[in-house]
Amino acid sequence: MTWMGAMVTLREWSRRLAGTVRRSRTDGDLEEELRFHLDLKAAETRRRGGGAEDAERAATLQAGGLAQSMEALRDQRGLRWLEDLARDVRYGYRMLVRNPVFTIISVVSLAIGIGANCAVFSFADALLLRPLPVPRPAELLVVGSTDSLSGSLVSSYRDYVDIRDVSRSFDGLLAFTTSTAAFAAEAGAAPRLSMGMLVSSNFFQVIGIEPELGRAFQPNEGEVPGRDAVAILGHDFWERRFGADRSVIGRTVHLNGIQFTIVGVAPSGFTGLAQYTRSEFYVPLMMWPRLTADPTARPLEARAFRNVTIEGRLKSRVTMSQAQAELSTIARNLEQAYPDTNRNRRLVVRTDLQNRIANAQRVATLLAMLTVLAAAVLFVACANVAGLLTSRAPLRAREIALRMSIGAGRSRVIRQLVTESMLIALHGGVLGLGVGYAAVRLFHQIQIPTDFPIVVAFELDRRALLVSLAVAVASAVLFGLAPAVTSTRAELTTVMKATDGAGSGYRRRWGRAVLVGGQVAIAVVLLVVATFVYRGFQRQLGTGPGFPTDHRLMLSLAPGQLRYSDAQARQFFERLSERAQLVPGVKVAALTRFMPMDGLPPSVTIIPEGFQFPVGKESATHASSIVDEHYFDAIGLPILKGRGFRATDSAEAPRVAVVNAVLADRYWPGQNPIGKRFRLDNSRTPWVEIVGVAKTSKYGFLIEKPMEFVYLPYRQRAPQSMFLLIESAGDPSSLAAPLTAVVNGLDANMPIANVRTMDELYRMRSVAVLGVIVTMIGAMGTMGLALAIVGLYGLVAYAASRRTKEIGIRIAIGARRSDVLRMILQQGMVLALAGLGLGLALSLGVARALARIFPGGPGGDGGTDLLTIPMVAATVLAVTLIAAFVPAHRASRINPTEALHYE
Amino acid sequence: MSTKEPQKTDILQGTLDLMVLQTLATLGPLHGYAIAARLEQVSDRSLRLNMGTLYPGLMRLEQRGFVRAKWGVTDNNRKARFYEITAAGRRQLASERAGWDRTASIMHALLNEQR
Repeated sequence: MTWMGAMVTLREWSRRLAGTVRRSRTDGDLEEELRFHLDLKAAETRRRGGGAEDAERAATLQAGGLAQSMEALRDQRGLRWLEDLARDVRYGYRMLVRNPVFTIISVVSLAIGIGANCAVFSFADALLLRPLPVPRPAELLVVGSTDSLSGSLVSSYRDYVDIRDVSRSFDGLLAFTTSTAAFAAEAGAAPRLSMGMLVSSNFFQVIGIEPELGRAFQPNEGEVPGRDAVAILGHDFWERRFGADRSVIGRTVHLNGIQFTIVGVAPSGFTGLAQYTRSEFYVPLMMWPRLTADPTARPLEARAFRNVTIEGRLKSRVTMSQAQAELSTIARNLEQAYPDTNRNRRLVVRTDLQNRIANAQRVATLLAMLTVLAAAVLFVACANVAGLLTSRAPLRAREIALRMSIGAGRSRVIRQLVTESMLIALHGGVLGLGVGYAAVRLFHQIQIPTDFPIVVAFELDRRALLVSLAVAVASAVLFGLAPAVTSTRAELTTVMKATDGAGSGYRRRWGRAVLVGGQVAIAVVLLVVATFVYRGFQRQLGTGPGFPTDHRLMLSLAPGQLRYSDAQARQFFERLSERAQLVPGVKVAALTRFMPMDGLPPSVTIIPEGFQFPVGKESATHASSIVDEHYFDAIGLPILKGRGFRATDSAEAPRVAVVNAVLADRYWPGQNPIGKRFRLDNSRTPWVEIVGVAKTSKYGFLIEKPMEFVYLPYRQRAPQSMFLLIESAGDPSSLAAPLTAVVNGLDANMPIANVRTMDELYRMRSVAVLGVIVTMIGAMGTMGLALAIVGLYGLVAYAASRRTKEIGIRIAIGARRSDVLRMILQQGMVLALAGLGLGLALSLGVARALARIFPGGPGGDGGTDLLTIPMVAATVLAVTLIAAFVPAHRASRINPTEALHYE
Repeated sequence: MSTKEPQKTDILQGTLDLMVLQTLATLGPLHGYAIAARLEQVSDRSLRLNMGTLYPGLMRLEQRGFVRAKWGVTDNNRKARFYEITAAGRRQLASERAGWDRTASIMHALLNEQR
């Protein structure tokens, strides 16, 4: 068909659509035209001879029946299915309004089920799934070797250059690293720490975006280290700091004291390639050596300095496995050429999403668990609606049979029943969005405590709406299709004759019993999970991070960002430590590279003396920090064996380290670790002697598995950005102002960031997050149980109502009411008990899965929570007993005379 | 239901469209009965159109923009709906006709060769 043909078809359909909506020609109009035709036909027949009446009949016969022709015309006039749909929707609404109890229970059940899914999706989307704000985000691939601690793919700049130049699979490969820098709009102004990206010159081109203002980086800006001090501003930052001034292009700003010329502004909506970070500036990677806080790092030359991320898109017709094969070859060549730095460094290619999941496996597993729980809630909700529909089926059977007997096709009737289900589901979906919205409000309690533009954006966005809609439609099919199919299968004559369509009653009751049993089982599992997690988290929160959180204040400082030399930085920290100690109210002032509970700790690679690693492994990477001699006092961590650091552990003294108990146990089990040695990085570095063992605390997150940790003395390492940690005598927050004054007194240009108390950090990083997760899981457990109760109640009430006559007879012939009560109650409780048993059996498997998500058990101590099971069992038993008792009791109150008159 | 025997009606409808358009092109505006009568006459009474075929067909042509219709008065002073071919209809007629001629000549050649 040609373009013209397509246009013609389009015109026909649009007119038919108009015919449906506007009724461009009325039925009367159509009929008039047909009658005119018939009249002429009859006249003609008469002319040929024949009676008037005969002529008319003959005409009608010859011309085709009036009714059939009208029907054909109506079909042609509009869109038949659309008219049917409109009729079904109107009819469906009437049914829903006529049965308010059914409607309310169904819609509310589904709202809970759909809302739970909407909420979990929004949660997962913000934490993991939402694609980067770039064109064709799914095609963006990450290349690199796995970082053993974080699991993410990393690379060094040197490796990047080799991969980029050799690889033929990619349509350009970009590299970037995220970095903080002291930003000042003018030379004299006090700098603020800001966060941005150092990027390869092809960055914007490979991503496929154009700056909103100015230009992208040029190829020559990726060639000479330190030469091209040009910057592109992030859109948000440009609006916030420069009031969206379009004349910023060409202006000079200062990053770490270096003059940069602004050459462009990134487009709105683009926030960089790091998942949660809203990048404030972009500068060429070539500026890295001049911007870095650690001048010894040689970021552009050191092949082992793996701090860049490589991303790119495949050329067309290149598959991921082809790219992977090529990268494996490149990795082998690099390994041969640079055995020191690249041994066992395999190169891997992943999609952006795969990479995120690998980076955050615990989060991914948690989200998977939440998704399963939400699906379970939805299933319980759907079972409720399906149960209600099934119990309504006998009442509707006659209506359906009637419709089918006057010629409605079975598919037509099914379509109408499914339309009704869709109506219920869509209303449930709309209400479910309300539930989802409430959840998103709850998620907003999770904030990342930082001065940097790092945001986890929980939103009820278009993606969440689409998912909710899809869930609603899926649920309608789930609960609506089976009852629709079975209720149209009924034998017409039986149904028409029977008083309430007893036809398939037995099978129907069985199906419902299985549904209700399943509901109870799922509710039990949900409750077990909720209780496990709740009690586990409560215990964790009770135990705390392993050090006191009160009376502690922190602030972070990065003298490297002011281009301090090593000696200057050392002097700065020296003086800071001395002066801070003198501030009234300060008990201890300490320096540390890493603050516990503030994200992932940095890592070191160690080779413990005399430890046999498995084949192919020569060293181990562990979390670490660099601390001064006051740190253990200030944070309140006891030294279990040996000593802490001393001021005499200086650059000239023998190398020493303090390790935590987990590390000591791992490498020297049953031995005294004091005096044991390890090397850092590789076999050519000097021995480091362990002088002390510190108590194990929590480092990254409250529910982490106990992990190995290495402390190195600040005086033996190059100073970098450090935290000042204060133990206060009184209210720690009152010390923020005097300490800021101390820093300013040393250097007014020193940017101070992340001033907060340990209590605040702990609350935001641990308590709030765990609180939200517990609330979510707890809500799903409660909802699951509530829905299951409605299901059970409904079933028992229904079964009792169908036995009204029987109960009447029993009572009339002398059965006691308590017997009747027991009889009906028994029916419900058999189901409840079966469901409970099944649920508890399933829970055992679930408990094992939970242990994988929360290593060491949700309680963190590895023990299983024995009390949970009896608690849940007792609750479910009590609640189901009530749910079954109420309708059973009502049934036993039946007045026999009324019951026998019934019907 | 509306969508039974699609094959048969399709073939018939394609031909019917061509016949109706040709009739309207030669005779000018006509009402439905006159179109049917004309086709019956031309075909020597072998083609008798059912109302249920003719009028939906006309409506479809109207919806596609090939004919336009309005209520008018016959010579006998009766109210009737008159159909008139549009410019798009004439173009459609020309192209359909060319297609038909081509098909006919191919069939002709083929059948003569077979003999």
